[in-house]
Amino acid sequence: MYHHEGEDVFILDSHIHLWDASEENIDHEGGEQFIQCFYDYHTAFTPEEHQWDLETYRQYGPEKMVRDLFRDGYVDMGIFQPTYLTDFYAEGFNTTDQNAELATEYPERFVLNGQFDPRDGDAGLQELERLKDDYGIQGVKLYTAEWRGDSKGWRLDSPEAFEYLEKCAELGITNIHPHKGPTIRPLNRDAFDVADVDDAATSFPELNFIVEHVGLPRLDDFCFIAAQEPNVYGGLAVAAPFAQNRPRKFGEIMGELLFWLGEDKLLFGSDYALWEPDWLVPTVMNAELTPEQREEYGVSLTTDVKKKIMGENAAELYDIDIKEKKRTLQNDAISQQFALEDGETAAD
Amino acid sequence: MTTSKSSPTVDRAAVINRLDSVTDPELDRSIVELGYIDDLRVESTVFVRFTLPTAWCSPAFAWMMAVDIRDSMSELSGVEHVTVRLADHMHAEEITNGVNEGRAFDAVFEDAMDGVEAVRATLDAKARLARQYRAVETLLGAGLDPEQITGLRRTDLTFDEETNRVAIATDGVVVYAPAPPLTEYVEKANETGILCEPDDRLFVTPEGTPITPEAFERVHHRARSARTNMTGQGAVCEALQDARYGRGSVER
Repeated sequence: MYHHEGEDVFILDSHIHLWDASEENIDHEGGEQFIQCFYDYHTAFTPEEHQWDLETYRQYGPEKMVRDLFRDGYVDMGIFQPTYLTDFYAEGFNTTDQNAELATEYPERFVLNGQFDPRDGDAGLQELERLKDDYGIQGVKLYTAEWRGDSKGWRLDSPEAFEYLEKCAELGITNIHPHKGPTIRPLNRDAFDVADVDDAATSFPELNFIVEHVGLPRLDDFCFIAAQEPNVYGGLAVAAPFAQNRPRKFGEIMGELLFWLGEDKLLFGSDYALWEPDWLVPTVMNAELTPEQREEYGVSLTTDVKKKIMGENAAELYDIDIKEKKRTLQNDAISQQFALEDGETAAD
Repeated sequence: MTTSKSSPTVDRAAVINRLDSVTDPELDRSIVELGYIDDLRVESTVFVRFTLPTAWCSPAFAWMMAVDIRDSMSELSGVEHVTVRLADHMHAEEITNGVNEGRAFDAVFEDAMDGVEAVRATLDAKARLARQYRAVETLLGAGLDPEQITGLRRTDLTFDEETNRVAIATDGVVVYAPAPPLTEYVEKANETGILCEPDDRLFVTPEGTPITPEAFERVHHRARSARTNMTGQGAVCEALQDARYGRGSVER
């Protein structure tokens, strides 16, 4: 639990990973390029004293993750967003089954999301059913730019993808998180175009589409689509760390997002281990718009708005009763292990 | 450095001036200003080496910059040949060799779906829109109202190089404003085919249609978001560049 100006702020980190980019797990040069590229983003937006060395970054393991999030990072709950990349990594980069180990050990602390890839055909549909049966998933993370043999990606508005979205609706998997973020080589740029979200969101009003990384660097296209579709949300992973070394830019991006989408449709995510919540949460909580930005956009980043972004909006999408959850967490295994009293973190 | 082949007529300042007109297509900023050029040798052969903020920068964007550097030297007095080198990039060799040999993007990259022209057109359209935001802000600042602004045509503007101002004829009066935002806008609008005829509307929607006074505010907000997107991506690139080359990563 984070405290801000005398208030409790429930932190539901909507974007976390437990990945394995160890050299033994890499079986395609793309896997090495991928983690190197991630590491560039890590160092570019992390204060120097908080930067990890590359070896730690490749594979940090579940124990460190639990400490970083819950003991040191103020996080109350986290949502696992898997990234399979099975063409690059022998056992996958970050799969649902791998994440499930930790999610099963600490069920009160994690939300476990699955994924699908429409190129997997009928077998993929069955796999989606299995993920629902085994783990009761409420959401999926989608990586439309994932390489698969000769294919360099897929689109959310394709007939094949629609078949999967129908299956999600049928199974009650209501939160769809497409990654639409920075150009990450060696993945293809066009596969991160946000236009396909528009059609999918219109066709499936019963599903929520949380566009991860708010479409950066297609923020303008994303905002325009999201303003028209009531079921399109923005995940702030990648945008959030701007608050650290590009605060003015962070204000502008938040100004656009609050102007076009409003305060109920934005979700905080650290993207752990790209960035760590121990410095990121306070940085975002302390961020402000300049008076010029408040006037320009006609919006403000008040504590109430921040509370929505840091947890309440995601809790709404995942049917989490924050009051109830706070009671449960006071005494769960994590609180006991780290001697977190009254929901406070040891770092307080 | 002088050899029998060197040409004393190649002017280094003229070369840099040409290079300054080459932009990073995603950021719509000069590659000289962005500090991408890290080696320049000016003789009868001009050699330009450039390095991007990350090794993973889109190969399509890197390709466009390399081609534009090469082409910017054409018909420059005394330049017989130009060699471009992209350094420190995951596709440095393919792009350097491909561009110097005059090959096509999709011939060099077999898994490319098509050429770079569609990507270039998309980025140019966004750059035009982002520049429109600044131009319109300038006109609002000069006292023009939405109806006047949406009604403007190219021929209503007269640029005065001496004072660096632009005279805008509207409703039978003349209003003056700082020229640079308008000059930059007109340049990109020309490039993207918005201003083909002298009486074409000066400003258009992202879709390229005339703007009604009622739609003015909405279009202006969309133009603002295009600019925020572009400068936001610029901040990502800048942070990556700083991290890579060890400069302190703070907002400039």
